[in-house]
Amino acid sequence: MPADLGIRARIKAPVRASGSPATVVTALSARKALRSGVLWGYIFGIAIASSEISYVKIYKTAAQRASLAATYGTSKAVSALFGTAPQLQTVHGFTVFKISMTLMILGAVWGLLTSTRLLRGEEDAGRWDLLLCGQTTRRGATAQTMVGLGAGLVTLWALTAIIAVLAGLESSVGIGAGPSIYFALAMVATAAMFLAVGAVTSQLAATRRRATSFGAAFLGISYGLRLIADAGMGLHGLIWTSPLGWVEELQPLTSPHPLAFVPIVAFTAILAAVAVHLAGTRDVGASIVADQTHAPARLGLLFGPTGLSIRLMRGTVIGWWVAIGLSAFIYGLIVESAGTTISGSVNEVFSKLGVTGTGPDAVLGVCFLIEAILIGFVAAGQVTAARAEEAGGTIDHFMVQPVSRAAWLGGRCLLALVVLVLSGVAAGILAWLGAATQHTGFSVASLLGAGINLVPPAIVILGIGVLTFGLRPRATSIVVYAVLGWSLLIVIVGGFGTVSHWVLDTSVFHHMASAPGVPPNWEANGIMTAVGAAAALVGGLAFRRRDLEGA
Amino acid sequence: MSNSALRTEGLTKHFGDVVALDHLDLEVAQGEVVGYLGPNGAGKTTTIRLLLGLSLPTEGRAEIFGLDCQRQPVQTHRRLAFVAGEANLWPSLTGAETLALLGRVHGQVDEAYRDELIERFDLDPTKKVRAYSKGNHQKVILIAALMVRPDLLVLDEPTSGLDPLMEQTFRHCIHEARERGQTVFLSSHMMSEVEALCDRVGILRDGKLVEIGTLAEMRHLSALTVEARFDGAVPDLSVVPGVSAVDVNGSMVRCQVRGPIEPLVKALAAADVTDLLSREPSLEELFLARYGEDGRAG
Ligand SMILES: Nc1ncnc2c1ncn2[C@@H]1O[C@H](COP(=O)(O)OP(=O)(O)OP(=O)(O)O)[C@@H](O)[C@H]1O
Ligand SMILES: [Mg+2]
Repeated sequence: MPADLGIRARIKAPVRASGSPATVVTALSARKALRSGVLWGYIFGIAIASSEISYVKIYKTAAQRASLAATYGTSKAVSALFGTAPQLQTVHGFTVFKISMTLMILGAVWGLLTSTRLLRGEEDAGRWDLLLCGQTTRRGATAQTMVGLGAGLVTLWALTAIIAVLAGLESSVGIGAGPSIYFALAMVATAAMFLAVGAVTSQLAATRRRATSFGAAFLGISYGLRLIADAGMGLHGLIWTSPLGWVEELQPLTSPHPLAFVPIVAFTAILAAVAVHLAGTRDVGASIVADQTHAPARLGLLFGPTGLSIRLMRGTVIGWWVAIGLSAFIYGLIVESAGTTISGSVNEVFSKLGVTGTGPDAVLGVCFLIEAILIGFVAAGQVTAARAEEAGGTIDHFMVQPVSRAAWLGGRCLLALVVLVLSGVAAGILAWLGAATQHTGFSVASLLGAGINLVPPAIVILGIGVLTFGLRPRATSIVVYAVLGWSLLIVIVGGFGTVSHWVLDTSVFHHMASAPGVPPNWEANGIMTAVGAAAALVGGLAFRRRDLEGA
Repeated sequence: MSNSALRTEGLTKHFGDVVALDHLDLEVAQGEVVGYLGPNGAGKTTTIRLLLGLSLPTEGRAEIFGLDCQRQPVQTHRRLAFVAGEANLWPSLTGAETLALLGRVHGQVDEAYRDELIERFDLDPTKKVRAYSKGNHQKVILIAALMVRPDLLVLDEPTSGLDPLMEQTFRHCIHEARERGQTVFLSSHMMSEVEALCDRVGILRDGKLVEIGTLAEMRHLSALTVEARFDGAVPDLSVVPGVSAVDVNGSMVRCQVRGPIEPLVKALAAADVTDLLSREPSLEELFLARYGEDGRAG
């Protein structure tokens, strides 16, 4: 057959794709990491700025500042929870005290979730295989992803620093650019370390969920060690055993101690190197910690979609309950010693946070607010899990069976409600148990009431989530976390009375009475529950009348 | 009430500007095995998701055993089972747990038959879904659908990923289902599978049903392939009425004939034929002939 010149002319060498094989994975992961770095950098920056500005607005005189320092600065319980609190008479010291522990933990959670998502999550989804068919190796791809994660980290730091510097320039605040940048660096140090922790656990565990729980356990231990070190039991040396302790030892804004960056940088670099090394020693899709591939059938819970949900999420929910119960227990434990040292000016701060009462009541009020936020996260997790079932297509198995959409969603909502109520009960009972060991005068009924009082705001979040799920399923997770993040921001910013009443009202936590200092406002709770239920009902009706939508 | 298992009337689905399905009128009688073919993106999966009530039609309606697919999904689902081309199972459950769950949700399971299917498909049910290969995922949902012995089996590329041996097992199962009087609606890209199993075949293209009928009817409308070897001179067959695509290769001639075959037989008889082979087109050839070239062009 004669050669067909026409065809030959049409055969060209493969076109060179834009970007080089050495950077394509980096670019891919950097894009995802940057997006969340921008969001969280904004939140970090706003939190720092609001804390600084509110301090100088509220504590105008030296006397007010001295009395604040006298009460908090010496409380062992407070330092156990939030870290040591030097120089509370300055905006520098107060800002570190007010915001740093929260940002350290948020940063760690961000780092852990982001790296397990982009490493083990991508591998779980099978997309890793596609990348590895290209001109890269397992180690190369892992290293590239870590560079991408690093880009996200730099974004987080840069945005936090910019906002912190701007707030510091405000004349009444008066924090220089240098200290602000150093502070921002300290605040993203846990994020860096836990990006590396997540990278290692992604090699160890066979699923993203397990990788995250390994990392979360490590975070819990770090927090616990730091707590003991700061509890004034003469064990302050323990601070050097905890990554969170290293960050505390950086002492930003107060008496900077940059040498503490040495363990932080070393820890991050070593774990990153370990992760890259481990990635090369295992098969793609496999894990270092052996995964069980066979199991005897356990059919107890597998009676239907709701039973399956219980089985699939019980690990996560129990994890939340442990976090809620344990922190409530600790709050109960310290409430007496913290409360008795509280003076009038602190009560003023508390009352601006929406917390009423004096002494131990007020301390517990603040602690219960933190529990309410945790329970809000549980609610958000319940809704996003429902959406994930639809996006992943597993819902189809039920929707082609004699199971109505109403029954499926109703079962899930009921389950979520039970989980939320039990979370509130756990918070109340364990706070009471903690307090009871110290022979404080709290009755079980009042603390149980205070625990259940935490549930209605979470029900509102649940309701808004279900409403979004019904109307705009693909926006579910963005909307619930936006509502939660916004409410959280308002709690932080608005705690100091500089925010309009109308803005405060948009935070779900603002409508919750600060039990046990005051009795729960059952009327407001009833309204919140009704609003949540109505939103969920509308969402359910919409869900019955729409297409199922994949990811 | 009619004896149709499945019926659609002007069933239409738009996704934004895309018309995925355009006024589909389709009827499948009880006990029938119907194949549903079409190029990628023709609207097969869309049709099936509408039948299952997973999507809502833009226009028109569908019913299964006389029950409205949108308004009575629970009742219709009691009588059917569905197999998708992608299993999307729960990775942490084992095969046995998955089958138990799906059986309980459906309500009725022929347990002896289930165990027999596990045996025949050679599935290890103690393994976690995460550890299964692609074909094994598919086996799990196939067994889950067959074990409830539904009146209607709705299958969307059910054998994707199965090896030829398992493909054979699947065909046996569908034959058995048909003997028991079950109705089967099978969308597939495996032409040999559809050819072996289906009484009737519908062909979809750009959301429109362009053809439906038995294989025999479809073949009747299309060309027969004839190959002949001659001892002496090769006659010019291209002038014979009904004959086309004549291809001469030495003493061999291959051509296609449409309509009455008589003129060709006469022409051949006049020459010195030593070898003659005539063959009906396979479904694949029918499909390619009709949608291959102009599919590419359009
Ligand atoms: N959720 C959706 N959103 C937008 N367009 C969609 C959606 N689902 C399907 N389509 C479009 O509808 C058309 C029909 O798709 P469908 O999945 O039904 O094809 P198919 O015949 O099953 O193809 P295949 O053989 O590839 O499975 C396609 O053009 C597709 O892009
Ligand atoms: Mg399809």
